[in-house]
Amino acid sequence: MDATQTKDIYTEEFLINMGPQHPSTHGVLSLELTLDGETIVECTPHIGYLHRSMEKIAENRTYTQFIPFTDRLDYVASMNNNLGYVMVVEKLLKLEISERAKYIRVIIAELNRIASHLIAIGTFAQDLGAFATPLFYCFREREKIVEIFDQLCGNRLTYNYMRIGGVLTDFSRDIEEKIKKFIKYMRPKVDDYDWLLTYNAIFLARSKHIGVLSKEMAVNYSITGPNLRASGVKWDLRKDEPYLAYDKFEFDVPVGKNGDAWDRYKVRIEEIRQSLRIIEQAIEALPQGDVAVKVGRIHKPSPSETYFRTENPRGELGFYIVSDDSVYPYRLKIRSPSFSNLAVLPELVRGLKVADIVCVLGSFDILMGEIDR
Amino acid sequence: MIKLAKNFVVGTWSLIKGLAVTIKYFFRPTVTLQYPTEKQPMSECYRGLVGLRPEKCIVCYQCVKICPTACLAITHKQEDKKKTLETFKYNMELCCFCGLCQQVCPTSAIIMTNIYEISVYDRKKLDINLLDMKKYDEWTNTTIK
Repeated sequence: MDATQTKDIYTEEFLINMGPQHPSTHGVLSLELTLDGETIVECTPHIGYLHRSMEKIAENRTYTQFIPFTDRLDYVASMNNNLGYVMVVEKLLKLEISERAKYIRVIIAELNRIASHLIAIGTFAQDLGAFATPLFYCFREREKIVEIFDQLCGNRLTYNYMRIGGVLTDFSRDIEEKIKKFIKYMRPKVDDYDWLLTYNAIFLARSKHIGVLSKEMAVNYSITGPNLRASGVKWDLRKDEPYLAYDKFEFDVPVGKNGDAWDRYKVRIEEIRQSLRIIEQAIEALPQGDVAVKVGRIHKPSPSETYFRTENPRGELGFYIVSDDSVYPYRLKIRSPSFSNLAVLPELVRGLKVADIVCVLGSFDILMGEIDR
Repeated sequence: MIKLAKNFVVGTWSLIKGLAVTIKYFFRPTVTLQYPTEKQPMSECYRGLVGLRPEKCIVCYQCVKICPTACLAITHKQEDKKKTLETFKYNMELCCFCGLCQQVCPTSAIIMTNIYEISVYDRKKLDINLLDMKKYDEWTNTTIK
């Protein structure tokens, strides 16, 4: 067939649905892809399959009753969600918590950040075709963290550990020892991932220069968390707007260069190392004292508006509460990081091949529970 | 040609590096549990199914008030000043195992058991009468603390 003949062949764009039942869309996300051969022309994400109307539920629950619901937002990092919510209520009530509770919260939040990043790394590797081995290695390490949480609060996924005015239970000697052991255990494991994945030729070929997110674009789309830092913007709420006791610890904010899928992965690996540093310092300097301020279970704040944001493993998690003269919030708005992170996806995958969309989506580490709420 | 040779060397080297890690763990003891036959012991404060010690209950309705999903329902009899428990219904379908009921109970009448294998064939079984705790024997691992 020569060139003149191929001109006459009529071709048209092809539309396929990826998801909602697709193993690599990280939940029930549906992507409507318009393809020109193997190249993506247009990508439209459809969300809402996991909508549970959390914000409306919050209007009919007391401030304490809503804590278990925050577990179900970002279910991989429940502790961080608990933390974000109780922090905003404490700000609303102008409540000061004890020094020990602050340190415990930092340790717990960082442990859960590691657990969340481990899942992100494992599933990203699996999306790229490194089947099972890295994922199972990551789950093996995560299991240690989950065991600590299980012993601490009695559950393995939806912890419901943070309380308005402190935390549920104090660290026992056993748990402190376990955390110290975990730091020693985890350090060489992160180096293992470097050997196994980070500089692997196939892994680099699949993820380098794929889905490049420029600095300007990241800021314009209000991308936050490791995805923003991978694009070269040094913005971490723990450093720039310190809450709890984060200003007392020494840690670096890892930043990427190109903003491609590999950078987003690498930033997460580095963040695990930094989190371990924070936990090590916090557990050494753990002050004595009470873990919870004695407040009632029913709170009745004066009418006001409050917003507070914390650094979640996926980005900035913000809670906005409007309170009126009742025991229920008048309105609760959740600013979830994954929602913004997903919004930039159609821009990034335009012109890429179908196989790369899985790579870009995996590198963003989105979670549908948080997007649909 | 040089590029091909370079790719070959780099690819082989990263293959060896990756295999070194997997071989290292190949000779370590296994960490996986063969689940249905082997079971992991749950921690002491594990939050499984809700259980009740009826003799301790003072019918204060604290658990009903705090439950975020309204899965508990109590009725009582009033005799002079003394309240006695009549029914204590627990809808397992709604329960989110948050443990708030256990934490607010002033007499520790409500407890969280270690039962976690809680699937049933009949939907009616999800509605549990907590005054008749014998039903819990249907599930394995019925250790009540």
